[in-house]
Amino acid sequence: MSAILHAQALGKRYGRRQALAECTLQIPPGHVVGLVGPNGAGKTTLLKIACGMLAPTAGEIEVLGEQPAADPAQLARVGYVAQDTPTYPGLSVADHLKLGAKMNPRWDAKLAQARIEQLDLYPKQKAGKLSGGQRAQLALTVAVAKRPELLILDEPVASLDPLARRSFLRHLMESVAENNTSVILSSHLVSDLERVCDYLIVLVSSRVQLAGETEDLLAQHHRIVCTRRKETDLPSGLEVIRAEQTDRQSTFIVRGESEIPAGDWSAEHLDLEDLVLTYMERAADPGHRGTTHPTGDAR
Amino acid sequence: MIWLTFRQFRTQALTALVILAAAAIAFLITGLHLRHTFTADLASCGAQNDCSDVLNQLRYTYDSAFNLTQLLVTAAPALIGIFWGAPLIGRELESGTHQLAWNQSVTRTRWLAVKLVGVGAASIATAGLLSYLLTWWAGPLDQINGDRFGAMTFSTRDIVPLAYAAFAFALGTTAGLLLRRTVPAMAVTLAVFIGIQILVPTTIRPNLLPSTSVTFPINQATTSQANGIYGTAGNFRFQGLGVSQGAWVLSGTPVENSSGQVVYMNSYPGCFPGPGAGGAPNKKPGFDRISQIGACLAQDNLHQSITYQPASRYWQLQWIETGIFAALAAALSGFCFWMIRRRQN
Repeated sequence: MSAILHAQALGKRYGRRQALAECTLQIPPGHVVGLVGPNGAGKTTLLKIACGMLAPTAGEIEVLGEQPAADPAQLARVGYVAQDTPTYPGLSVADHLKLGAKMNPRWDAKLAQARIEQLDLYPKQKAGKLSGGQRAQLALTVAVAKRPELLILDEPVASLDPLARRSFLRHLMESVAENNTSVILSSHLVSDLERVCDYLIVLVSSRVQLAGETEDLLAQHHRIVCTRRKETDLPSGLEVIRAEQTDRQSTFIVRGESEIPAGDWSAEHLDLEDLVLTYMERAADPGHRGTTHPTGDAR
Repeated sequence: MIWLTFRQFRTQALTALVILAAAAIAFLITGLHLRHTFTADLASCGAQNDCSDVLNQLRYTYDSAFNLTQLLVTAAPALIGIFWGAPLIGRELESGTHQLAWNQSVTRTRWLAVKLVGVGAASIATAGLLSYLLTWWAGPLDQINGDRFGAMTFSTRDIVPLAYAAFAFALGTTAGLLLRRTVPAMAVTLAVFIGIQILVPTTIRPNLLPSTSVTFPINQATTSQANGIYGTAGNFRFQGLGVSQGAWVLSGTPVENSSGQVVYMNSYPGCFPGPGAGGAPNKKPGFDRISQIGACLAQDNLHQSITYQPASRYWQLQWIETGIFAALAAALSGFCFWMIRRRQN
């Protein structure tokens, strides 16, 4: 099986504004990928390039080993739910299923029907009259029932209340598990992704800051708290992602392949949210890596 | 894809069908009556060899209906461009639904092709039906008027309306694609289409084929065919001279003397009898009197020129204009395909 997504120095420029730069990624198959980043980081741009809505201005991209949206066959392999989950307001729920059935050779009518019933959507209801959560579910149903190998979801839960969010993600994970689909979904909130993703990409200021399997990333990163000292006094083989100094104490977020040896410091793992925030803050920091930051996260 | 196109177009198609059905019934009822009256009038007046009064009466009776129907067929392409063309892609881009459509297993090229061909064919068929109805309905009146080249007459008869519909539809589609919003695209479509409806009859259509010019002397023989004398500010011209019936007169000079200078009525008081002689414009003397005036003026070596398109060029001009707007529609459609493949959405 080829990589879900293979990008080489991918870039997208709108006039003078660089929306995505030097994006190099190699995502192995069979993952649920979380794409995290603040608003305007370039998440939507990357996802739109991946599904073929946008052409990149630099670099190369392959999705499931093919050019995005190259032909009907490739379109059938990738499902995409855009931001704000657009649906046709004048068409009913049943019309949307018919649309999917008419326009997709691998359409799974049974699956679509079952999902609509499970969601309590009334088939004759116009999509324009659905709530935001119901609309998102309908858009997801159309994308899932075409039985894609890869499902790309752009901020699918952004407009949903916490309850609808949870139910949406649960339904997503159910259908993903049933059909063995790979997924890329984006969010600006780590908490949305924490429970569902096993691969993480952090995108800030149009650049990829971090990418890898969640488990590995969590295992590699530590927070070291110790009496005040310089970075160079830490054990070797550690990359300092962030350092924070107070008068008496130093806090380092470090990345290393091995466990931290015992010493006159306390070392602990970070949770996913802290990990992502660390990289986001580092990217937002004009001095970038390794420098102290007086107002940094001091947890 | 065909199903989706039809499903999205259903409301507009039904609206158009209702309007078309109503128009067809109205055309049929009044048209049959008009033809019946026309035939009866011709039969009754034919015996007396003077039909102009009866036919003018008929024309007068149907004048408002004639103008109204011409307006309807003129407006049809504009309405098609506004309500079928502009939302075709514009509404999808505005509401973001193109992102749903373009991620089914159908390429966007095919998506656009089905939409353009399906709704485009409906546009052309609608205009074709309206044009056919009007051409049939107004047949007797056109025959009376003898003015097939009239600005609105020419563009609402026979095949030209089909090309206008195709063009307006492609124009609306392109505007929607470029502006990405429905209402501004509608406004631009309307503005451009009105501009073209003004530009074409005034400056383009007369020059589609090289026009013919004739200069003829003023004497009893030539003026005997005239149906009136018109003038402004004291000059004068004979109407209906030198060209066969139904020709499209583009321009003409007033009566001039041998050195090419415009002459005035009050220079020839002997030839223009009556109290208003020499001073009143738009005199319409009787037919026998016009040739008398012509005979009176003959000794002064005067002439008048006109530029015109012969009546025989009607179909040639119809085909040329149809070809131009069909080509423009094709070019705009091609542009839409090119835009949509650039993947900037």
